[in-house]
Amino acid sequence: MTAKIAIRNLDFFYGSHQALRGVTLDFPERQVTALIGPSGCGKSTLLRCLNRMYDLYPGQRATGEAMMDGMNIIGPGVDVDLLRSRIGMVFQRPTPFPMSVRENIAFGVRLHERPSRAEMEERVEWALTRAALWDEVKDRLAAPATGLSGGQQQRLCIARTIAVKPEVILLDEPTSALDPISTLKVEELIDELKRDFTIAMVTHNMQQAARVADQVAFFYLGEMVEVADAGTMFTAPREKRTQDYITGRFG
Amino acid sequence: MSGAVARGGMSAGSPAREAARLARMRRRRAWSVAGWVLCGIGFGMLGLAMGWILLMVLVRGITALTPTVFLEVTQGTGGGLLNAIEGTLVIGVGSMILAVPFGVAAGLYAAQFSHTMFARAIRFMADVLVGVPSIVLGYFGYVTMVEGLGWKFSLAAACITIAILCLPYICRTTELALSQVPAAMQEAAFALGAGEGLVAWRIALPVAMPGVLTGILLAFAISVGETAPLIYTAGWSSYMWNGALVGSPVGYLTYAIWAFINEPFASANALAYAAAFLVTVIVLLISVTARLVLLRREGAR
Ligand SMILES: Nc1ncnc2c1ncn2[C@@H]1O[C@H](COP(=O)(O)OP(=O)(O)O)[C@@H](O)[C@H]1O
Ligand SMILES: [Mg+2]
Repeated sequence: MTAKIAIRNLDFFYGSHQALRGVTLDFPERQVTALIGPSGCGKSTLLRCLNRMYDLYPGQRATGEAMMDGMNIIGPGVDVDLLRSRIGMVFQRPTPFPMSVRENIAFGVRLHERPSRAEMEERVEWALTRAALWDEVKDRLAAPATGLSGGQQQRLCIARTIAVKPEVILLDEPTSALDPISTLKVEELIDELKRDFTIAMVTHNMQQAARVADQVAFFYLGEMVEVADAGTMFTAPREKRTQDYITGRFG
Repeated sequence: MSGAVARGGMSAGSPAREAARLARMRRRRAWSVAGWVLCGIGFGMLGLAMGWILLMVLVRGITALTPTVFLEVTQGTGGGLLNAIEGTLVIGVGSMILAVPFGVAAGLYAAQFSHTMFARAIRFMADVLVGVPSIVLGYFGYVTMVEGLGWKFSLAAACITIAILCLPYICRTTELALSQVPAAMQEAAFALGAGEGLVAWRIALPVAMPGVLTGILLAFAISVGETAPLIYTAGWSSYMWNGALVGSPVGYLTYAIWAFINEPFASANALAYAAAFLVTVIVLLISVTARLVLLRREGAR
């Protein structure tokens, strides 16, 4: 299995506080990698490295390597806007923009392409269909996105991300603010999306990780403790800390 | 753990502790009553002051409001206030045209790049400017524009002076409104590959718009209610605005209040009452509109 992104010896600092220590991890192409571990162990931090989100905040920095197609993502001289078109991100809480449903999708597309009106309509439909939202919103594309339900908003955010046609999608606890039915829909969606995209997903839900992930990585106190395919991870973890966490003894 | 148990055990058994607890409770209740009484008095005084002012201005104003007030210009110590009504609105709109672009831009910068030196400088200057008494601004306008540039009493001098007065309010309310835009929403736009400018313009500003508009409306209300800076820069004119930016004075409502209230003519006093009524109603209307704009935003959430 080829690695879409290969992280080697990644350290991350919030000012003087080190949040990641020597992380080494591969994200296999077109697979779902789940990142698990107790709160504050650095899962979100790792995702925010991969799309250079930390660039927005002076004082945050990363060292080491995160190679994607021969380019070090966290190295100097990377075109960050272009990188973010290749690596999309969906956040914990739905973040619809203050515009219509259609504009929410078009906003990201227009940043990187100049499609005609018809092409844009097509792209909007394509993205919403892929995000399993088209049937629910096709009659209200011009309505404000804030009027959608929480679950719909989150799928809109996923649609907005895939509309840009990225190669990698980062999901930071994408279902933790959703009800069980919306959660199920998003999980099915993720399973669908991995045919085309490489996916990295943070989750606190072990069942979810077991259901949708191909590979699972366990983090503890800023270190990547153990990585294995989902089956092995949940039946025969190598480390005691992993065992304790997935059986609910802490975290 | 054992300490907590020991403490709990002692307080239950000791009568001295129990008495102290009761005393503490009684004291707390007394303070609470005192607090409510103070609040009540404060509320009463505020209500009384507001009611009194409004009643006086409205009652006297309404009796002084005749069609002439709206249809004719001032003639000596009589006539109407059409020139002043027009002047107040022209000065208000003119100063907003000057102050809004700069105030919003400065506020936008201060909010979106809040940690930079330049943002800190903007905040500092806005604070200083808010603290400058308006009559000092009027004097500044008089020295630099009315005399220095030879503009005489004029619309331009008045608008620039009032714009300087309003600038810090618009800047600070814009910054405040923007700082309340969720960071996650802006990060989501950055995560799609958007740049700083686009995020500020397409995401942050639209979300903050009700707050920004409220700031602009309140600044407009300030411009309607100001007197001292205008006496120094607009002068006073009994004629309609002649379209000139410099060289000729402009009339405005607050002048009519200030100048006509202690004239020994009933016609002049009536004009002052009518002007006070108009200024109060305009400012009230603006405040209510501003509240409605804010309420609509709360509703939209
Ligand atoms: N903006 C920040 N500034 C300083 N420290 C931070 C910041 N964000 C996160 N941290 C710290 O970095 C560590 C990892 O955080 P995070 O990646 O959010 O954990 P997780 O997503 O696994 O819960 C925590 O100790 C957290 O307190
Ligand atoms: Mg997190």
